[in-house]
Amino acid sequence: MTTLPTPAFTTALAVEACKLRRSLALLLAGVAPLLIAVFVFFNLLQMRKPMPWTMALQSAVGIWAFFMLPMSVTALTALIAHTEHGPRSWDYLRALPLPRWHVYAAKVVCALAIVAGMSLLLALLAPLSVQLAGGWAPALAATGPRDIAPFLLLLGRVFVAAWLLIAMQLWVALRHASFVPALAVGIGGTFFAVVATSAKIGMLLPWQLPVNQLASDPQRAQLTLLLGALGGVTVFVLMLWRMGRREVIN
Amino acid sequence: MLRTHPTLAIETQGLTRRFGQQLAVDGISMHVPARSIYGFLGRNGAGKTTTIKLLLGLLQADAGCAWVAGIDIAQHRQAAARKIGALLEAHGFYGNLSGRENLDLCRRLLGLPTSEIDRVLDVTDMAAHARKRVADFSLGMRQRLGLARAMLGAPPILMLDEPTNGLDPDGIADMRTLLRALPERAGTTVLVSSHLLGEVEQIATHIGILNQGRLVLEGALAALKAEVGHEVALAVGDPERACALAHAKGFAVSRDADALIARFAASENPRDATAALTRLLCLEGVDIHAVTPRQHSLEALYHRNAHPAQ
Repeated sequence: MTTLPTPAFTTALAVEACKLRRSLALLLAGVAPLLIAVFVFFNLLQMRKPMPWTMALQSAVGIWAFFMLPMSVTALTALIAHTEHGPRSWDYLRALPLPRWHVYAAKVVCALAIVAGMSLLLALLAPLSVQLAGGWAPALAATGPRDIAPFLLLLGRVFVAAWLLIAMQLWVALRHASFVPALAVGIGGTFFAVVATSAKIGMLLPWQLPVNQLASDPQRAQLTLLLGALGGVTVFVLMLWRMGRREVIN
Repeated sequence: MLRTHPTLAIETQGLTRRFGQQLAVDGISMHVPARSIYGFLGRNGAGKTTTIKLLLGLLQADAGCAWVAGIDIAQHRQAAARKIGALLEAHGFYGNLSGRENLDLCRRLLGLPTSEIDRVLDVTDMAAHARKRVADFSLGMRQRLGLARAMLGAPPILMLDEPTNGLDPDGIADMRTLLRALPERAGTTVLVSSHLLGEVEQIATHIGILNQGRLVLEGALAALKAEVGHEVALAVGDPERACALAHAKGFAVSRDADALIARFAASENPRDATAALTRLLCLEGVDIHAVTPRQHSLEALYHRNAHPAQ
């Protein structure tokens, strides 16, 4: 056996992406934004009067940030972690001659990329469903300017604010072989985010940070964006450090 | 720390690992010669898997050292891992991907050329099934795919945890042939952990027996068998009387149904001792129908050392 250099991190990343082929995680990534688009379509059809484009698109972001994003991240991170927990492949992966943080960091990047992809899919499907609803019932066609840029910016802010939530959910999912802890944390977090939406302390709750990007108070939106981004990066770094050193005992 | 011991592929000194109060591996000092097939034996919970995990750097030792190809595992895990191909009890294959895709993931992580996949698939006779999804594989096929993956990059050391699990008789015979040829063909050292003593006996050149976390016996299999001495089975007309006569003259004998089993010390010449015993029985008028030399089996060695109290 010749001595080969340690493959670059991009190799671990490409391998991680390949593992998602034909996986439930990718199916989920497609279904969640589609469900919002379907809801927006039928919601517009049951209106008595046309809705402005801005409001229609913002309602799609609202549903995404408020409920679908936290729940999707819960399921998505559990599925990503289960790629290894299911076939018990941690031992094999951790015995390979590559830095262990590569394995975990590749999962982080994949999780972030999938959520970014879901946001982009929503950015595509939501205007399409508003357009289709208008075509189906011209009397209810959305009014006003079709201003896509603020909609995309808002989706981007929601995504960045979700980093802390994604980091925490991924850590719990990777740490525990059972689905239960990750689902319990995700469902519990989303539940409190929903029932305590207007609570002042809510802006510190990771599951509520994304929806705070729609807050009327710009300071609150800015603070929660920073908290989500910086908190997310911090938790990701801590997770890589801790998981790389941890012994996996089956 | 690099250790330059040209004859040892794996070496440990006082390797110890605890799980809470339980001492799973208790000061093991093992010596696996290069190009040997080392049968790693012991009952469930004896510490075999924990030792393998220590050798793979998956667990950290509480005390002691381990070297793989002269490389200290605790100090240079990645360099040591480059020397090892492992087949673990949990295969860790992705069921949604094909056999070839699974191998390709590993090949990329090891930085090997694509041609390696075809090579290992050919060696393990898996080329025909490689495009099927692993979820549709039988246990035996997964086992062979696991071996193929362990052989990616032709590592100088293979660690195989129960490699014949789930294989049919033909598969076991194929695996035996393949493993036997590896030291000669590729200079590979093979560490095989197994419960199938008969299988290990057919392929192993060296063995190590673990009991309650301690290495109670280690060495070249042929030498260990020779040290135990020799056994001869005699089919006799009156086993009870034959047994009493032999005992009276100081022979170590026991009854096994209608046969008499005589045990001679390693220092004794088995031919002379057998002649003396048969002469005694003939002179006393005991009919002897057959005299059969018995090989000491690995099973006998195993039971003598793994269960010394029984």
